[in-house]
Amino acid sequence: MAKDISDNICDEHLFSSVFIKYSKNLHDFLYYKFGEHFNPKDKVQEAFIKLWENCAKVSPNKAKSYLFTIGNNLMLNEAAHQKVVLKYQKEKPKQYTNENPEFILEGNEYMDKLQIAISKLTEAQRSAFLMNRIEGKKHREIAEILSISTKAVEKRIYGALKQLRKDIKEI
Amino acid sequence: MEQEDLIKKWLDNNLNAQELEAFKKLDDYEDLIRLSDSVMRFKAPEYNTSEELDTALSHIRTKKQRSLNWLKPVLRIAAILALSFSVYYYTTTLDTNIATLAAQKTSIELPDASLVSLNADTKLTYNKKSWNKNRDVELHGEAFFKVAKGSTFSVKTPSGTVTVLGTQFNIKQRNNYFEVVCYEGSVSVSHKTDIVILKPGNSFLIIDGKLIAKEKETSLNPSWINNESYFKSMPFALVINEFERQYNVEINPQNIDLKQLFTGSFVHDNKELALKSITLPLNINYSLQNNSTIVLRGE
Repeated sequence: MAKDISDNICDEHLFSSVFIKYSKNLHDFLYYKFGEHFNPKDKVQEAFIKLWENCAKVSPNKAKSYLFTIGNNLMLNEAAHQKVVLKYQKEKPKQYTNENPEFILEGNEYMDKLQIAISKLTEAQRSAFLMNRIEGKKHREIAEILSISTKAVEKRIYGALKQLRKDIKEI
Repeated sequence: MEQEDLIKKWLDNNLNAQELEAFKKLDDYEDLIRLSDSVMRFKAPEYNTSEELDTALSHIRTKKQRSLNWLKPVLRIAAILALSFSVYYYTTTLDTNIATLAAQKTSIELPDASLVSLNADTKLTYNKKSWNKNRDVELHGEAFFKVAKGSTFSVKTPSGTVTVLGTQFNIKQRNNYFEVVCYEGSVSVSHKTDIVILKPGNSFLIIDGKLIAKEKETSLNPSWINNESYFKSMPFALVINEFERQYNVEINPQNIDLKQLFTGSFVHDNKELALKSITLPLNINYSLQNNSTIVLRGE
């Protein structure tokens, strides 16, 4: 993967390996943080192209934080702290077999509440929590992605969980 | 506190079997699982890494091509064009100079295929750029011209201007000496205020500002073209000057009448023989002082 023997990532193979290593994480991070309204896929592309243009100045071990900073900034330029509403998939998970209309109604109600609650989380809480719950990332991995300590990640995720449960009950 | 720890460990997928049992017994267990399962439905859209990588790579490749394969060659071509144009402009507007040193002869072809033979110690200047408009050359020394037919061909010398249309003629312009011999066609010579038209065989000769009549020339070329200098009733000083030019030597005449007339010739490729040719008829002794000085002593 990203090797330290090279002091820049102007080589296409090195660039590709960096892309394979970080692009999905960056995409998921941007999605959970900002929602899909501002097209995280395009921002990932843009961030990597910026990385390529400045490849001579960025060493492989700096590439990750460079990419996440660029991606984050690209988003912030457009999003400017707007309310983020994530969509949930409408199809019902298979394990619910006893689908009476009441249950479906209740389920939908719950999802709507959850949706609102998630959108109310801070960006930091939401991105950490969803990367943990949905992408199944360990606290340590998230800490690495966000360049923060494991303790901070744990705090964010637990805080998000508490907040969600509180909000769902109240709504 | 214990509950919080369990939940935190659960969040990190870090529960061992025993802890999992404890976690399942929590009051909030159902609630937490439902929340966790429901959250899964907020999954980010599918992200196809290899597809996205291809997009990125094609993007940077076209960028690279645009900057490397397009801009650089264009700049190179522009630089080459600018450079060659300036060199072309510089060289074509510059006068062309051809010069011979003493004891050296050369022949050149002018842009219109006119031929010029330069005798020793002669300088010829012309301009290639304006050649089509006016065939002008500047001459210091002696040269034989075979001019191709065409517009007016002018030879400017410090002693006068020779104008022709297409002909063969020899011009000899040295210190106080100006001679034009026409071998073919007709030649117009302007010297000070005079304009003289020469027909084949005619010559125009001025020595020290005096016009001197000459017999009709019968040869087809000036003698120096054949590596020989021919003189007919010429002051001896001129013979010595010519000798000095042909052999790149200095002649030191002592007790000799330089105005006496000399008729005869000397060759250009044998110094001993040439020296004898010019000294014996006049009863002059010569001695070679070194390679570059010759002393002539009259009796």
